[in-house]
This record gives sequence, structure tokens and C-alpha cells, in this order.
Amino acid sequence: MNKAKSQPGSQAGTEAVIEQSLYEAHKKIYIRSVTGVFATWRWALVWFTQLLYYGLCWLPWNGRQAVLFDLVERKFYIFGLIFWPQDIFYLAVLLIVSAYALFLFTAVGGRLFCGYACPQTVYSEIFMWIEKMIEGDRNARIKLDQQAMNLHKFSRKFAKHLAWLLFALWTGFTFVGYFTPIKTLAGEVMKLALGPWEIFWLLFYGFATYGNAGYMREQVCKYMCPYARFQSVMFDPDTLIVTYDEGRGEPRGARPKKLDYKSAGKGDCIDCGICVQVCPTGIDIRQGLQYECIGCSACIDGCDTVMDKMGYPRGLIRYSTEHAMQKKWQRKEILAHLIRPRIMIYGLLLVAIVGAAGYGIATRTPLKVDVIRDRNSLSREDESGMVENSFGLKIMNVSEVDRTYVISISGMDRISILHQPSFRIEVPAMKTETVSLEVYAPPESGAPGSNRIYFDVKAVNDERIAVHEKASFIMPQNAGH
Amino acid sequence: MKQLIWILWPSFVVAGLAEVVFFTLIDPQELYLFGEPVRISRTATYSIGFFGFWLVCAASSLFTVFIQHTPEDSKH
Repeated sequence: MNKAKSQPGSQAGTEAVIEQSLYEAHKKIYIRSVTGVFATWRWALVWFTQLLYYGLCWLPWNGRQAVLFDLVERKFYIFGLIFWPQDIFYLAVLLIVSAYALFLFTAVGGRLFCGYACPQTVYSEIFMWIEKMIEGDRNARIKLDQQAMNLHKFSRKFAKHLAWLLFALWTGFTFVGYFTPIKTLAGEVMKLALGPWEIFWLLFYGFATYGNAGYMREQVCKYMCPYARFQSVMFDPDTLIVTYDEGRGEPRGARPKKLDYKSAGKGDCIDCGICVQVCPTGIDIRQGLQYECIGCSACIDGCDTVMDKMGYPRGLIRYSTEHAMQKKWQRKEILAHLIRPRIMIYGLLLVAIVGAAGYGIATRTPLKVDVIRDRNSLSREDESGMVENSFGLKIMNVSEVDRTYVISISGMDRISILHQPSFRIEVPAMKTETVSLEVYAPPESGAPGSNRIYFDVKAVNDERIAVHEKASFIMPQNAGH
Repeated sequence: MKQLIWILWPSFVVAGLAEVVFFTLIDPQELYLFGEPVRISRTATYSIGFFGFWLVCAASSLFTVFIQHTPEDSKH
């Protein structure tokens, strides 16, 4: 166990606060808020993903929730599409697509997902915004933390935690709302009549949000995230990464604004430390690419602001590639190297898989049939000498319309269902009906043993909704004797 | 604390995966417990199932952490 020790006055005041950490003694990071192009992008993505997350579950569709993963009914609704457990194939496809998309984005622009779209980043961003609104920016927070407890400090801390908790609980409520209809859930919350498991998962997810975004923050990325550990294998020398231009920046150092620093032998870096202060993982990008870097570009925004103030050109820290730094490439050459075999292969695979899955979903039949042989009797002969096999047919109407189906059978001469050519069954929308069918065939129509037969299930009024399912008819050795 | 997270965190992730795969393939209502069909709600079965998976995976992680700890480590 690592017990963090406090280091009284060991370093300049701001860095002396050490908090009990989950993994190792670590300095509490006071992240300075930043504005700029990339911060704007990140906020745009925070809004986009969170409006989607908090809003989508309230959207109605066909008189039901548009996006609902109904675990109790075992059906997933995504707008007009409905997935049954039998559609697990599409879940696998979704995972493959996500993996390839991650490979592609990482190869192009490094940890784009981490910096802009990962829930850990997004919720940390929101929680930090709440923190800033209540406790103030970096310096105010450091001052507040150094104070002994007083009414002012207590009220600020209390307000912050209350706001965090409310937000976290709302997040937990929304999460549960994707698995049980959210309007019912909201009604239950109002009447304080939530089920025990609903309460449990709401609190579980809520506290996970509170803990991860309020406390753990960068430690999740540094120690818990598996992607952070293997992302480097997806990098190549043409991958865009957040880079400090050492050639331009060094030797770094403070200087008066008016100084002709170039003749004084100094580089563009004024060593103000802003790039370190804005970094959510607390690293110094000037030491080169480090695994802790989540590619959020806060240091780019921070540095550009300083460069503007100094009247120096922007981009001392910028998105660049290893090759570009070595070969002094300009923007045009970097962009030209975006298109390379690795990117093309990932891209083509993605397009192919998404295309095939999209085609599969668009053309799938809203009817599923499972044929189950009666396990108790293989076959028997009736009084008239016909051989009988029993089957159970599970007919799943995967559409949101009630339908009637006609079941017919083929594959053997004079084969019939209950001595009739066909059989009709009504199945309400989104329901499964199971029928047991006795299938008869004369002994001379097949060889002893297993004979291939086919069940055809067709919707009345819609020829396209049809399933052709094979089964085997068992003919006994001595049939007809 | 570090060891506790080594035990609980990877097992949580793997239990989540196991939960999804298991309950996609198997309907909780088709399970039998001590020869009797499971009568509790699906939500309860899913939840208990998740914690069951988590427990099993955590036991495996616990064992890993245990055997990683060699006698040489305790000398330091």
C-alpha cells in the first residue's frame, strides 16, 4: 500500500499539496482552464455527446422510447431497428467497427478519442467546469486548499460536492433510463417507488461518475485505461501528435518582452509553465511524447495564447509528426503523408464492414424461425401406416406489426403437416409463438434414417417476409412393414 | 490500495464482457437453480449474475496478485 506523505514546504507553495492517491504518492493537479481552438473543439464535443446521452433517452418513436435497451424484454430498440438476442452478430460487428475506427483515428491523429470524446475526458471537463464556477480558477483553488477550514471554504466545498453529486445522480438516472423506459423511471422517482435494483444501478453509476470525474481524473487514464498502454503500437512516424518544437523553443528562459531574444541566444519558449499548468495529466510536453499525454491539446491552446501575448508566431507546441519534425516539413507535406497504406487499409476495411452490416440490416427479414425437434420421440407410425415426427416451431415476429404466417413443408413426397398442406398462425407484433406440429410422411417417401425437409414460413399479404428453414425427418428402419 | 485496484478493476471489465456474452446467449428465465426454474426477475438475475462474474474474476486476479508476490519481494 502506498501511503502518501505530505511534504511540508518542500517545494514552492503551489506544488506542496499532496493528496492520498489511489496508486502512488501524487501531486494534486490544479488544472488551469484554457481557451482556444482545441478547447472549443472539446467543448463542442462535450455538448454533442452529452446532449445525445442525456437527451436521446427522452425521444419517443412509434409510441415507445426511441433508444431503449430493454433488458427485461430482451429487445434492443434503436429508432426503427429492433435487435433480438439472435442478432448478437451485429453486436460483434459493432465492436469490430469500433476497434477499426479507433485504429484509424489513432493512426491519423494520435489519441483523438482520449482528448475529445472519451467519457472520462468529457465528465472530467464538466466536473472541472463546475469546480471552476464554484471555487474559481487554478490560483483561487490552490489558495482555498491551503486555508484552514473556515465557513467560506466549507461553503465552497459543500456547494461543489453538492453540484457534483446532483450531476452524477442525474447521469446515473439517465444510464438506468436506457435499460428501463425512462418515463416510467421518472414517475417512479417522483413517487419514490424505484425498484431495489434500479436504485442500486442508479447510485452505482452515479458514484462511479462522481469518483472518476471528481477525484480519479487523470489517474484513470494513467493507470486504469488499457488503451493508454497499447495505443503506441498504432502510432507511426506520420501520426499527428502534440509536439513541442524543441529546435525553435530552446534554449528556453524568461526574458523582457522587448528583448531581441534571438540575438541574446534564446529560443521562443519563455518557460512560463502554462503548458504544464493546463495539462490534465500534469506532464511537461517539452520533454517529448509521453504515455500520459491524452492528446487533448490544452497545451497548444495555452502556449498559443502566450505566443500571441509575446508577439511570437503561434505553434511552438502544435500538432505535428515525427517525420515532419525531423525533415522540417510544412503543413502541406504533413497532410500529403496522411494518405498512406496503413490509413487506406483501415479506411477500406471500415467502409467494407459498415457497408456490409448496413446492407445486412437493411435487407433482413422481420421474421425469425427456430425449428426444434421433439426430443422425446424420434418418430412413430400411426394407424394408417404414415410416419410421424414432431417438431416445435418458434416463430418470432420481429416487426412492430401483427402478422399471420402460413407454414408449409417440403422436401419429401406427400409430406404434410397434420395431414394438411399448410398451417396458419397469428403472431402479434414483437412476440414469439411456439407451435408443435406433427409432420406426416408415407414410409416409402424417404430412406431409413435422416431425411432433409424444409419448413417455409411466409407472411400472409407480404411475400418478401419468408423464411426457408431446414430440418430433418427421421424415418425408422422398418417403416411400413 | 494499489493491489486492491489490481484485483477489482480488471475483474470488473472482464465481468462486464462476460455478462454481456452470457446473457445475450442465455435467457435468465431458462436457468435452473438447484433444480428449480429461476423465479426472480430478469433484472435481479442480470445484477446478481454480474456480481457473480465479478467475484469469480476478482478471485482470479487475487490469485495472480498472490503468486506475483515472491519471497524476494518481502525482503525489500
